[in-house]
Amino acid sequence: MKLFLTILICRLLHFIGKMIGKGSSLPGKIALRLCPDILDRVKLPEYIIAVTGSNGKTSTVEMIAHILTENGKSIAWNKEGSNQIEGVTTLVLANSTLTGKVKCDILLIESDERFARYTFKHITPTHYVITNLYRDQLTRNGHPEWVADAIKESIKDNTELILNADDPLVSLFGEGKNKVIWFGADELDTDTTECTGKYDDGAYCPKCKKFMRYSSRHYADIGHFKCTTCGYERHNTDYTVNSVDLENGTAVINGKYNISLALKSLYNIYNILAAFTVASVVGIDEEKIAENLSDYVMKNGRVVNFTIGNRKGTLLTSKHENSISYDQSVRLAVSDKGGCDVVFIVDAVSRKYFTSDVSWLWDINFDMLKCENVHNIILSGKYCNDLAVRFSYTDIPESRIKIYEDVKKAYDFLNCDRKEHIYVITCFSDKNKFLNLL
Amino acid sequence: MRLLHLYYDIMNLYGEYANISAMERILTQSCTEFQTDRLSIGDNAELSEYDFVYIGSGTEKNQKVVLDDFGKYKTALKSYVDRGGVILMTGNSFEILGNKITDANGKEFSGTGFADFTVKEQNKTRLTSDAIFKADFSDKELVGFVNKCSEIYGISTPLFDVLMGIGNNNDEKKEGIRVNNLFGTHLTGPILIKNPYFLEYIAKLVVGGKTEINTKYLGFEKSGYEVTLNELNKRKASS
Repeated sequence: MKLFLTILICRLLHFIGKMIGKGSSLPGKIALRLCPDILDRVKLPEYIIAVTGSNGKTSTVEMIAHILTENGKSIAWNKEGSNQIEGVTTLVLANSTLTGKVKCDILLIESDERFARYTFKHITPTHYVITNLYRDQLTRNGHPEWVADAIKESIKDNTELILNADDPLVSLFGEGKNKVIWFGADELDTDTTECTGKYDDGAYCPKCKKFMRYSSRHYADIGHFKCTTCGYERHNTDYTVNSVDLENGTAVINGKYNISLALKSLYNIYNILAAFTVASVVGIDEEKIAENLSDYVMKNGRVVNFTIGNRKGTLLTSKHENSISYDQSVRLAVSDKGGCDVVFIVDAVSRKYFTSDVSWLWDINFDMLKCENVHNIILSGKYCNDLAVRFSYTDIPESRIKIYEDVKKAYDFLNCDRKEHIYVITCFSDKNKFLNLL
Repeated sequence: MRLLHLYYDIMNLYGEYANISAMERILTQSCTEFQTDRLSIGDNAELSEYDFVYIGSGTEKNQKVVLDDFGKYKTALKSYVDRGGVILMTGNSFEILGNKITDANGKEFSGTGFADFTVKEQNKTRLTSDAIFKADFSDKELVGFVNKCSEIYGISTPLFDVLMGIGNNNDEKKEGIRVNNLFGTHLTGPILIKNPYFLEYIAKLVVGGKTEINTKYLGFEKSGYEVTLNELNKRKASS
């Protein structure tokens, strides 16, 4: 009876919430208060796939959902992005019968990396994808090793891990485990041997803390690592990106599947590969998977195309307090050979949490913008002074940099008859301050 | 002048390399020649040859690696500080100066014993906060961020009064440590960039009155500082 009532209330609240466009974690929160062990009481489907990590969770989960749906699987997933235990509870109960049976073939869960240990106390994933561990929102998350310790607590013995072999900290979860599925990239044309970023989280072995070496780096600390002291090294992969041609937007997976890339970014290739891996593991034909992933345009609204007068532009939603996310966006802008103006807006550092910390600006490799095809760089928002200071420590000529605290003034500057494409790089918290002006 | 960024590659968790960049720039702007060395685990720095030493923050594991390596500098550090050498240690790096660090599992690590305090770590909650700290040497407060999992007990010569944020431990409104020209604070990141007045103060100590310090170029730095101080004060008033 308690189960029945809790599910009924949760579903009702979820229904009302949907009608009025409210968040998806409240129904689950209330359900957990009514029946704290509700997640232990429901009957879950055969496949429970969880995805966590610093970057790419939402995109990976969206692509997995796309492939599975295209291939006739019924799935339940947290599309609305509420990824802590309350949101997952809403997801589970909203998709279950009133007797507590989850009505789908596959339950697909995006999980917050620090709070996964609470969610997976009650739900044991059959497969658990860990995408990467980067410096992400450190004002809340501490640092990647701190997050790794939290994720470790969420891993159950009978769960099959699906791990990024190129990430040394993520790979560590596979130590001592028999059943691990590894994904990663072979040596790529764009690889370097040295670290090219502003910091190197791969300098020391995460296992023994002695010096680590890379035979090949894809970006940041992602690549083919080996500790010369304890022997900890990149694992061979079961699912592999063999080559990438960013200019023409193609990648080859497992030696024979050509994927055409809607987003020409090396970072996103890992999301594609993770989605490919999961779909293959649950038995989807690989030809089909490749077809579904080719030219797939993400619906999560992170890339927004717009026009200002006669000018075309693209807003690349990036995460404040996440240098890898910014590096990725900067790299995309820089690769536009047609010439571009690039706008950075930092007005509120965090969407949910107040902080004025802008240390993360120093981890972003803005030096990449010193190239012929990047013309004007516009710095805007409340923290434009901090952006200006940061840029004064690059070699980019001052004459190219315009500073407008007011986002509207930045918009006015862009609204002219110049021809360059506009890239706006900013966060969820700030993007509407620009988009609402259009 | 000789600057040393010690443990540059392992204690650089929040963009701290920029503290050295800030010192380099103010010296350049003040027409002072300098050389910067970047040294780390296994190197042997001659502390006596330097005018400014900086160490940033790291993960708890990296800090223990540094603690193990740093023991060799115990005597040299004392002479350096005694002669008035300037050293800035931010984040958890200054914790290595104490008698002991106890980690979250209860394991004890002997400290350098340079100062008489102890450190206790836990792994349940990250202690984080925006911060406004007041020093007795300046009427300009410092702004920044604290990001730690430890509490420190027994510091008799703290560096700051806490106006907002977290002190050395949860019961104390004092933060950091000062011994002569050694400055230790749990503020993380590029604090010398974010706090131009503190940079000026430190730079004056480094050049030792021989040179006029130029601060005219610090326009955006000062504006950025004012914006943050204002935001934090608003936040403080509303809490």
